[in-house]
Order: sequence, then C-alpha cells, then structure tokens
Amino acid sequence: MINRFIRYIQRYKGWFGGAAAICIFLGLYIGLLASPPDYYQGELVRIMYVHVPLAHTSTLAYSVLFGGSIWYLWKRDPLVDNMCQASAGICALFTTLALITGSIWAKPTWNTWWTWDPRLVSFSVLLLILGGYLMLRKLVDDQERGGRYAAILAIVGGIDLPIIKFSVEWWRTLHQPMSFSTRGVSISDDILVPLTLMSIGCWLLFAYMVMVRTQILYLTDLLQAKKGRLLSQTHFSQTSP
Amino acid sequence: MTGLYTRWAFIVGASLLLAAMTYQHYQQDLSTLSVETLLKSQPASQPIRIQGMVKSGTLSGDVEQGEATFELVNEGTSIAVDYQGPPLENIRELKTLVLIGRWDPETKVFRAQDTALINNFGFVAAAYLVSVIPLFWVIFAMSQRVMVLFKEIKEEKLYEPEINPLADKE
Repeated sequence: MINRFIRYIQRYKGWFGGAAAICIFLGLYIGLLASPPDYYQGELVRIMYVHVPLAHTSTLAYSVLFGGSIWYLWKRDPLVDNMCQASAGICALFTTLALITGSIWAKPTWNTWWTWDPRLVSFSVLLLILGGYLMLRKLVDDQERGGRYAAILAIVGGIDLPIIKFSVEWWRTLHQPMSFSTRGVSISDDILVPLTLMSIGCWLLFAYMVMVRTQILYLTDLLQAKKGRLLSQTHFSQTSP
Repeated sequence: MTGLYTRWAFIVGASLLLAAMTYQHYQQDLSTLSVETLLKSQPASQPIRIQGMVKSGTLSGDVEQGEATFELVNEGTSIAVDYQGPPLENIRELKTLVLIGRWDPETKVFRAQDTALINNFGFVAAAYLVSVIPLFWVIFAMSQRVMVLFKEIKEEKLYEPEINPLADKE
C-alpha cells in the first residue's frame, strides 16, 4: 500500500517542488518586507520565519522516518527503506539548519550562542541519532541487514520526539513555550501568516526532497545492478572457452 | 540538463530580486545614521533614525509624559535632542537607543518623535543566508545527480534486453 502511495506521489514531485517554491517565496516576501517588527524582539523576529519552519520540518521528517521504519520492519519493502534513508539525510540537514539559525537568534536575544536548555539538548540528541542512523547504513556492508538495524535505531530514537515537543512544558526552560496548543494560538496574525506560509513551504519542500532522494537511491541501486550484470557477463565471456 | 539550469536560473534570479528589494527596504526605511553622519549630511526635510547613547548628566524633563531633552553621543560626537512623543518606558542615562525624528539645522537640535529597537540586521541576514544557501545547494545537487544517473543508465544501455549467455551456449 505504502509502496503504491510512494510511486503515485513520485509522479507529482514537480508539483510539490513548484508549490514549495511559491509558498517559500511568498513567505519570505511577507516575512522580510511586509510584516512589522515584533514589540520585544524587533527585527530579530524575522529569524523565526526560517528557524521555526526548519525545526517543524525536521520533526516531521523524523516522524516519516519513524513510521517508515516500523513499516519496513513489518513488510521489508525496499522502496520504503529507500524512503527512510532519504528522510534521515534530509532530516539531518533540516535539524542542523534549525540548530544554527536558533543559535544565531539566541546570541542577540539570550546573549549566548548555546545554553544547556532541555529543548536545545533534546533537539541536538535528534541530530546525534540521525548521525548514528546514517553511519550505521554506511558501515554495515549487507544492505538489508543495515536497513534492519537502522530501522530499529530509528524506532528507539523516536522517543526523542515527544521529549522535544513537551520539553518546554516539562522543565523550566529559556525557550518560549508552545505557540500552538489546546489552549489556542498565542501569536499575532502578523507573525502567523508568514510563519504558516514558510512552514507549509518547508513541508512541501521536504516532500519534494524525499522523492528526489528516494529516486537517487533507486537509480543508484539500478546502476549498480546494471554494472554488476555487465561485469558478470564480461567475466563469463572471458572465462568461458 | 538545460531544463534544470533554466529552472534554477529562475529560482536564483527570484532570490536575488527578493534580496535586493529587502536590502533597499532596510536601507531606506530602517537603517540608522550615526551622529557624525547626521552632522555631515544635515538632512533637514525627511524623517531619519539615529542611534546613540544618552550622555550622562544631560537627561531632563518629564520622561513619563513623553517629554525629555538630553544629549545623544556617538563615537565622541554629540547632539542635542528634544523628545516629544509617546512616554519613554525605560530611558535612562548611558542607554543606547534609536530615535526617529527630524534634524533642525538652524537650532542644531534633533526633534525626536519616537524611539525604535536597536536593529540587528547582521544576525537576520546571517540566519537567512546560512539556511537558504545550503538548502538550495543541496536541492540543486540532488536534481543534478538525478540527471547524471539517468544519463549514466542510458549510457550503460540498461533498457536493452539482457542476453542470457547460457541460452547462447545452448
């Protein structure tokens, strides 16, 4: 079922890329030029229009990796395994960028590039888990076995997702509390519009990137198989009398 | 490959246009002048923003009612400021602030009507450049890789029917 779904949306990846570009450019225009500065943060609020969508997308990417890993262990579908591998790499990119932009925002606001805050630490742990996942895939020679081990790691690492989400409620923290919760939305429309546009843009961009990366992994496997086949043919023709 | 480069030329062009518009907006509407530049250029008509520090021992007036006079100092040069505007919440001596108002070249007094937060454009620009450039670069590299792989596969003649050497032997 998931295999068919992935193949189906692969056909429309260009639309995802186009929609992502429109949302991001519109979000950047409103965020940088049309929206007013924040009363307390001033112009620095504009960093939020990239930092928050990047952070949201990295948790979405890990959720895809988590769900895909469960599915892979159950069905052993190689296409889902490729999608998981693609999601992990892209998730690592988004997590790194979210940490860097957060750090740039923290310097003028908190007067430090880094603090041992629960949200920051749990988010960095996510990057470590992803690093482990990608290393495991590289280090284990048997692709099927590597995929299985990596899927188990991704599922175990999934415990970090609720910790990231609720760290600002469970512990005393410098990081601002959740803006979207059951209590409602705690940010003004001026900020909400560019933030939403950028978030949707980043989610669509993630979908597009996953599809392209999955395609790359599939094509690489195909090329290797082809080269292997040619090699075996050459070997056969050289050794046969 | 041409289609890929055309698409990316459009994306880079749109990004550069947006960056130029943003730069112009910030230069025109939000950038601040130093006291020294203000005294050199003497801009009389248009509203301007200047940044400086309230000189110690010069602050007087009813700050809570939005009336104050003080000297604003910046890199050793100072000017007299007459503030008439919204109540100043946290003004004090030795505080750095941005004032919005007009320069009166006859009386050599800066007539301020409002204050603004000190801008940190460097941090904002850094955050955008650090996130957008690597992201675009990765997507471009991925799109290019797909093209290269397709080309390699075609060159490897993958779509030709496979010859079964055992069948030939028979």
